[in-house]
Amino acid sequence: MAPNTRARRSASFVGLWLLLTLIWFAASSSLAIESIITGAAIAAVLAHLFVRRFPAWTDVRLSPERLIPFFRYTGVFLVEMVRANLNMLRYVYAPRIDINPGIVEVRTRLKTPVGRLALASSIALTPGSLVVGLEGDTLTVHWLDVKTTDAEEATRLIVGPFETELEKAFG
Amino acid sequence: MSEVAGSILVLIGAFFHFSAGLGMLRMPDAFTRMQAGTKASTLGNALILIGIAFYHPGWSLKLLILIYFVFMTNPVSSHALARAARAIRIPMAGPPPQALASAPAAARDGA
Repeated sequence: MAPNTRARRSASFVGLWLLLTLIWFAASSSLAIESIITGAAIAAVLAHLFVRRFPAWTDVRLSPERLIPFFRYTGVFLVEMVRANLNMLRYVYAPRIDINPGIVEVRTRLKTPVGRLALASSIALTPGSLVVGLEGDTLTVHWLDVKTTDAEEATRLIVGPFETELEKAFG
Repeated sequence: MSEVAGSILVLIGAFFHFSAGLGMLRMPDAFTRMQAGTKASTLGNALILIGIAFYHPGWSLKLLILIYFVFMTNPVSSHALARAARAIRIPMAGPPPQALASAPAAARDGA
């Protein structure tokens, strides 16, 4: 293993370990010494297994330049999700369900697996679209109301809101 | 006062859950049903958990973790379902609205 890969692995191990320990603190809400030791040990084992088994995690770097876009992405995501729900209510309570469903393919610029995972999950929660397949940089999307079959235009409409921020956050 | 706000949030969340259920009943095919189920139930869950946080401020952190957990797992499960549905070629209601593949069979059996 190249030293550089190893350094990155230990960095992402430490990051994940701290994150999991924090979640443990929040969930146990106890500062007893036994609780802290148990939590830290469990978090260490989980982080170790995860970094070994899921190399994609090592692409995620925790730094301020990446956290700020991540928070902005969270904001965009929440707005889109509320819009998606109001949209869905309109369909559900309409006297006649007026939809035009179909499957379109869109491409993403995101390179890392974690970024693509985040994008696919975001699409599932946003207005009228659901990812049914993800292969390489092509997402197959089920669209509730197909407005266009043109790949470029569909990409702009479905992926557009998230891609910029996710690209900065995950690459 | 904060309990009233919490109750209102829980009520709105329940309304979204109800809409998700109604959507599952009214939508024409598997994919559109999944869409109705995923979206409305995710927001409904989040609203109910936030509403509970008004009642029990001490649970806020735990509830926040729960909300993140639902947000991360709900799309993944719906993605898995949709992928499976596509892999076994479940018929899709398309434009123009067409009957589901099972409907004629049922009619035939009934005749």
